[in-house]
Amino acid sequence: MSTLEIKDLYASVETKEGRKQILKGANLVVNSNETHAIMGPNGSGKSTLAYTLAGHPKYIVDSGQALLDGKDLLTMTPDERARTGLFLAMQYPVEVPGVSMTNFLRTSKTEVDGKAPALRQWSKELNSAMKRLRMDAKFASRSVNEGFSGGEKKRAEVLQLELLKPKFAVLDETDSGLDVDALRIVSEGVNRAKENTGLGLLLITHYTRILKYIKPDVVHVFAGGKFVKTGGPELADELEATGYDQYLPEGANSESALA
Amino acid sequence: MSQQEVRVPVADPKNPYAMPAAMPSSVDRQPRSFDVDDFTVPRPKDPDWRFTPIARMEEFFQVFQASAATTVTVSNIDGTAVDPERVRVGDVEMGAEPTGTVLAPSDRAAVVQWHSARHAVTVAMSGELDQPVLVKIHGNGLDLDAVHLVITAAADTHADIVVEHDGLARLAEGVEISTGRHSQVSTTFIQEWEQGSKHVGNQRIHVGEGASLRHSVVTLGGDVVRIRMDQDFGGEEGDLNMLGIYFVDPGEHIEHRTMVVHNHPACKSRVVYKGALDGKGAHATWVGNALIEPNAPGTDSYELNRNLVLTPGAVADSEPNLEIENGDIVGAGHASSVGRFDDEELFYLQSRGIPEIEARKLVVRGFFGELVEEIGVPAISGHLMKVIDRRLSRGENEAMQHVLEEK
Repeated sequence: MSTLEIKDLYASVETKEGRKQILKGANLVVNSNETHAIMGPNGSGKSTLAYTLAGHPKYIVDSGQALLDGKDLLTMTPDERARTGLFLAMQYPVEVPGVSMTNFLRTSKTEVDGKAPALRQWSKELNSAMKRLRMDAKFASRSVNEGFSGGEKKRAEVLQLELLKPKFAVLDETDSGLDVDALRIVSEGVNRAKENTGLGLLLITHYTRILKYIKPDVVHVFAGGKFVKTGGPELADELEATGYDQYLPEGANSESALA
Repeated sequence: MSQQEVRVPVADPKNPYAMPAAMPSSVDRQPRSFDVDDFTVPRPKDPDWRFTPIARMEEFFQVFQASAATTVTVSNIDGTAVDPERVRVGDVEMGAEPTGTVLAPSDRAAVVQWHSARHAVTVAMSGELDQPVLVKIHGNGLDLDAVHLVITAAADTHADIVVEHDGLARLAEGVEISTGRHSQVSTTFIQEWEQGSKHVGNQRIHVGEGASLRHSVVTLGGDVVRIRMDQDFGGEEGDLNMLGIYFVDPGEHIEHRTMVVHNHPACKSRVVYKGALDGKGAHATWVGNALIEPNAPGTDSYELNRNLVLTPGAVADSEPNLEIENGDIVGAGHASSVGRFDDEELFYLQSRGIPEIEARKLVVRGFFGELVEEIGVPAISGHLMKVIDRRLSRGENEAMQHVLEEK
């Protein structure tokens, strides 16, 4: 059993107008086998939380800790965090021209496991994982994310999740831009990964749609850079009905409220 | 009938743009000669030398006594002996046929090489070759040496040839390449010099009528490497494809100059050079000239240079030059860029557990891999990828090396 513990996390980002603090005292505990949905309005800092955990150089930690089984992720390089057991499925996966998916996946697997996977078993595992995600075999020989559609990129993220078997995964708006079929396929992949490895999930989303496929144990409202309310699955339905307005400071403009 | 005065337009030297058609092209103005005295010793401000650290290669500007220590061997790429019916290997005095038959030296270093080399190795190919020919040029020390190589392909020849340079050397090298009508030939030059080596080269290339030549240059090591390539066509519908790959380490100067001349109608040329630079004082120079002469309608030419700067402190000079003297052409394009390693790509790969140094290697391998695949001759591209991987996997542990080398 593993635990991911975010303790009083403050983080900033460098903008043209100067340094701006986005995370303002985030606290959270997630255990193996748990699925936590993190919901909140645009601009509340959900993605900042995801990228700060993964170690994107744009985000600067001001104070706080993120302990994975007691080891502070925030003091590690992004690759060390991944090898410690953290995975971030990105909202906008990056294209890496010239690097084939196969080569990338095998290099990544080798690094995360600390040893090269046995060749025959690996290609079997890769092929069947791709098949389950309805990915064409041609994907393997294409460059990482290059020319992939939005849906293909998200499938490729879940493919990595299944193959790398992390202890905790943060899914940053993995549902955005997916049609109904793709949403189901991607969700099935995430559920499969959880079933097979018992990983803990942090599911960042605006909408309750994905929660029909991936059942959360806990639902959090994230606003103003911290967790402001925690509840069971019923909280998601409540948010769907009432929106995020009540969680915003007086006079604040919520994009989602406007839309 | 009254006589009318006809004024013949004369270019005004003070304002050449007033009469563009009468402007001499800059390439035309440069001398081509076998006489040393026709070229002055390069100075830092000379247009052709302004990117070159002249002081680091001044020994190549005066005719010298060649050490003859460099060894040149010719075989098939698998190491077996060449078929003498189709690949004739010879050794001739400088000045004797076929030396000096492809163009003429175009700068001081080239003419000095011509006079310093004692003899030339010739490789004459004909017919259809079963496998690539390999010419190994191995340096055996830092005594100044000069070699001369003449590669010819008869009409209708289908052949591939690889020229590999390694060892330690200070070498002036002249290469003449002449391909016959309707031949299809690839020539690949690999420089994997040991640290401390210098290599100043001049290649003179003639592409036959209706012939296609794939000319590749891969430079992965050497303190100072400067290779200038002059080319022309022998008739209509020649097809020239020049690919270049270079990897520059701290303190190294690696320079390639491709001088393509369209002197016949309906010929096609592509020049694609890509380089990665790593570390302080790494200096790459690419200068690509494409001259389209008035008698070359239907020309299709394109040149591209991309530089990937991996770490701060490296300098890449990239200069495409186009001189178009005929408006009736298919195309004449160029592109050039110097880019930094992309931070988002790096983060993405790192977030999948790949350490920064490995991530950089993956990206560089990809950057070159696309180009290598274009070479299209499996025996050659496989060989090249091996050479590049050897460069990239320096200092890797065995398991990782295996992963990096298998695509």
